[in-house]
Amino acid sequence: MTEKPQKTILILDDEDIVLKRLKPALEKNGYSVETFSRSQQAFDRIMEKNFDIIITDLKMDGLDGMQFLTLVKEKSPKTEVIVITGFATMETAKESFQKGVFDFLAKPFKIAEIIETVKKADAKLSNS
Amino acid sequence: MFETLKTYLKRRVTKKNLPITAFFEKFQHILQTNNMILELMADMNDKSGGDYVFDRQYIISACREMNGLVDQLINDFNLFSNYKYKELKEVFLRIAEEIENEISGKQIPDSPPYTLGIDGSGVDMAYRVGGKAAILGELFSRFGNVPRGFVITTSAYRLLIEQNQISEKISSINDEYQRGILPACDASARIRQLFENARIPEAVTNEIKSIISRKRYADVSRWAARSSAIGEDSESSFAGQFLSILNILPNGIFKAYLKILASLYSESAMEYRLETGLNENTIAMAVAFMEMIPPEKSGVLHTLAPQEPGEENMVISAAWGLGAPIVSGKVRTDRFRVSRTPPHPVLEKDIICKPERLVPASSGGCTIEPVPEAMQRAPCLTNEEIQRLVEPGLRIEKYFKTPQEIEWAYTPDGKLYILQARALNILDGLSEMVCDISEAVKDHRVIFKHRGEIAQTGIASGPVFLVKTDADLRLFPDGAILVARTSSPRFAAVAGKATGIITDVGSATGHLANIAREFRIPTILNTGVATELLSNGMEITMDAEENIVYEGIIKKLCLYEFTRQPFEGSHEYRMLRRVLKKIAPLNLTDPRDNNFTPQACRTYHDITRFIHEKAVTSLIYIELENFGKQTATIAKRLETSIPIDLRIIDIKDGVKQAAKKNKKISESDILSIPMRAFLSGIESYGWWDTDPLPVDFKGFMSSLTRTFSPELASPRFVGLNLAVLSREYANISLKLGYHFNLITAYVGKNMNDNYVSFHFQGGVTDQVRRDRRAKLIAKILERNDFMVEFKHDKVIANAKKFNMVQMLSKVKMIGKLVAFTRQLDVQMDSDDQIEKYFLKFNRLIRNSVSNSEIEEKNPNP
Repeated sequence: MTEKPQKTILILDDEDIVLKRLKPALEKNGYSVETFSRSQQAFDRIMEKNFDIIITDLKMDGLDGMQFLTLVKEKSPKTEVIVITGFATMETAKESFQKGVFDFLAKPFKIAEIIETVKKADAKLSNS
Repeated sequence: MFETLKTYLKRRVTKKNLPITAFFEKFQHILQTNNMILELMADMNDKSGGDYVFDRQYIISACREMNGLVDQLINDFNLFSNYKYKELKEVFLRIAEEIENEISGKQIPDSPPYTLGIDGSGVDMAYRVGGKAAILGELFSRFGNVPRGFVITTSAYRLLIEQNQISEKISSINDEYQRGILPACDASARIRQLFENARIPEAVTNEIKSIISRKRYADVSRWAARSSAIGEDSESSFAGQFLSILNILPNGIFKAYLKILASLYSESAMEYRLETGLNENTIAMAVAFMEMIPPEKSGVLHTLAPQEPGEENMVISAAWGLGAPIVSGKVRTDRFRVSRTPPHPVLEKDIICKPERLVPASSGGCTIEPVPEAMQRAPCLTNEEIQRLVEPGLRIEKYFKTPQEIEWAYTPDGKLYILQARALNILDGLSEMVCDISEAVKDHRVIFKHRGEIAQTGIASGPVFLVKTDADLRLFPDGAILVARTSSPRFAAVAGKATGIITDVGSATGHLANIAREFRIPTILNTGVATELLSNGMEITMDAEENIVYEGIIKKLCLYEFTRQPFEGSHEYRMLRRVLKKIAPLNLTDPRDNNFTPQACRTYHDITRFIHEKAVTSLIYIELENFGKQTATIAKRLETSIPIDLRIIDIKDGVKQAAKKNKKISESDILSIPMRAFLSGIESYGWWDTDPLPVDFKGFMSSLTRTFSPELASPRFVGLNLAVLSREYANISLKLGYHFNLITAYVGKNMNDNYVSFHFQGGVTDQVRRDRRAKLIAKILERNDFMVEFKHDKVIANAKKFNMVQMLSKVKMIGKLVAFTRQLDVQMDSDDQIEKYFLKFNRLIRNSVSNSEIEEKNPNP
């Protein structure tokens, strides 16, 4: 098996296609990935476990992505959060960064882009 | 009064005559909008390739943008062409509405079609034909050995419920059951009664009657009906819960249909929905009717043994007669364990005594009968039959990217049929094995990565097979990875055998890419280095998701693919593909064809093609008709060593600004990129001094008017060689000798917009020689990666989506070809002349100027 422990990632997005596309891409890069399509379930999960990196959409039914982001940062300040969204605006971007998001990606984005962003977040975690 | 008449006439005349510059500007604007549409189309196609993560919002905004552009294009064109083709607006609105329906996720419509042939029932149509029938449709189209059949759609289901007014009754009974008031058996029985007593709407029965009476089903005497439901993840969750009815007589179809609909509310189905919280409003039932195949033996193939996936074996169960009892697990069967690794040796055989079998009864339905003594202990399958089953089994697995449970049957005369395929759930066994997949790939050298474009995602491993010539294609082995320099449509010939494709050049939206997507072959195009770094026979694993090519076979990576649900199955992905189907495919290909009309447009691409073509020919026609005397100043003569009278019309930047006021234009004044390439091609061939043999002029004229389009048959154009140019565009009509050549080319920086089309029609001489000449031309063009069609002496070829350098080299080749064929007829005495001249032409191209010279000839932008 592995020598070093795998970094853990949680992905929250209400669209199937995003989860199905991201999970294998990240696993192939050596990360352990859990996916959720309902914010309540994701929320319950982060109460149980701290993840190294969280990737979340903003606009979903139920829990607002922004609220989720705040909760995550409260519970586990070390966790790096990456926001992905199809409704990217200057305001939401600014607000996310103010709330401590690591990076903000607008959909559609290339797989390579998100991998790069995750790796940067990974590096930041390793250095701290 | 005389004055008023004069003014009136003047006004009439000026209405037709837009000032020439405004006219050309409008045309240019049409070309620009056309380009923007093509770019957006390419962008949408890119997103569907797998390199990107997109969401529903993207699909919505891209479609709205597309709608806006096409609307604008049509408006501009209507003004330009004086509303000659105003039907285009209606066609556009119809397509726009269809797209809107797809996006808004409207619930299943109750509108026709109520039946669909199995060949039209692919996964894109799953919402109309249900999960099972969608898979059957894919199997039918891709693999062929599926029984003929048709599907009664979910729309028919909706209509039936509406017309019989049972929707509320069903809801209330179901509600009572879910709240615990009514027991499952009662609730189910009541709802099923409602279905079985329902009247099938006339619109539906009419379609059913009509489809069965078609020629292709004329000899079908017995049918097998299978349920095919929709709902969330219907493919796996409803497996085995609904009804199949076998051996139905034609007059039993309607009754069987109702029975199967009723099974949507079987006890177990109702329980399942209660447990999983499935919304009743999202479910609907389609029913597939397939030709009943009376088998000698049937069974099930698991492409990966479910119990021990790590062992890499396949398991086949077989029994005599029909397979239904095997699937339901009611009967004991022969079992064969076969290795997944070629040559697929049979590792184990467990043959049991089979005293009974299920067979179709003559009066309909099935019956159990004893198996003849001699067969009871005999193995159901021979080694040969096992091999013949294993191969399509693995291909189906590759296609759906996940291990399969496949129902099969062999008829007494040895024909193999695939009756069903469904995904096998072997997650548990494999998950541990592929826990950290990044470790598995660490030991393998990366040959290259992140190069080129992914046309179709997936993982493939196998030996490299380099394809350079047609002969290579013919030798292509099963299961190899095709590696080539160009992305030629010719490779379609080995689509069934190739397990992966990698090329040096090509576009992810070109023809080969489309083939790759259709057959779901993992494909990476335009890598630039494939033929350099990959050698024949080399074993590699290509990950066409992360775009990495590894040395060696990485089994774990292939198995890993099985544990992942392909994103191609997601709702949004399918939506994008359905929407793209209404936008991107091109049906209108030949402007000379009868169906090149607004009404025949099925997609936005058809509309843009139609407009583009009409705008250009209108330009020539209106231009010379209405501008009369001004033509002399517009269509300028080209000064050239080639002995033809060629006139040039410049739309915009096709000719140097300074030269525009001159009476003649010299070759060095030409800025049009494709035109320069074409001229250099003709010139480099060299020109004969001899003229073609004189011919009966009247006969020639009549042949001309008979075969060519009205605009070009006008006496004004006979003998007129015309080139309409802009910087990236050229439309050249040339009569050389008695051959008519039409070359249309667009060559710009964006590979996806590039195309060249070549029409050749020959005159003079006898039919046989003309045919030979056409065959020769077709052969030359195919060799140069053109898509070619030819009929008698007419050749139509086109090549598209190559980069600028390659495109120009093709245009130049056409220039040579045009010169080359001028004198050919006389020599085409026999069929071997075709081969002789083919080789001669090939030598000519090889000895020709290199690509760099073409670039040199192009003036700086």
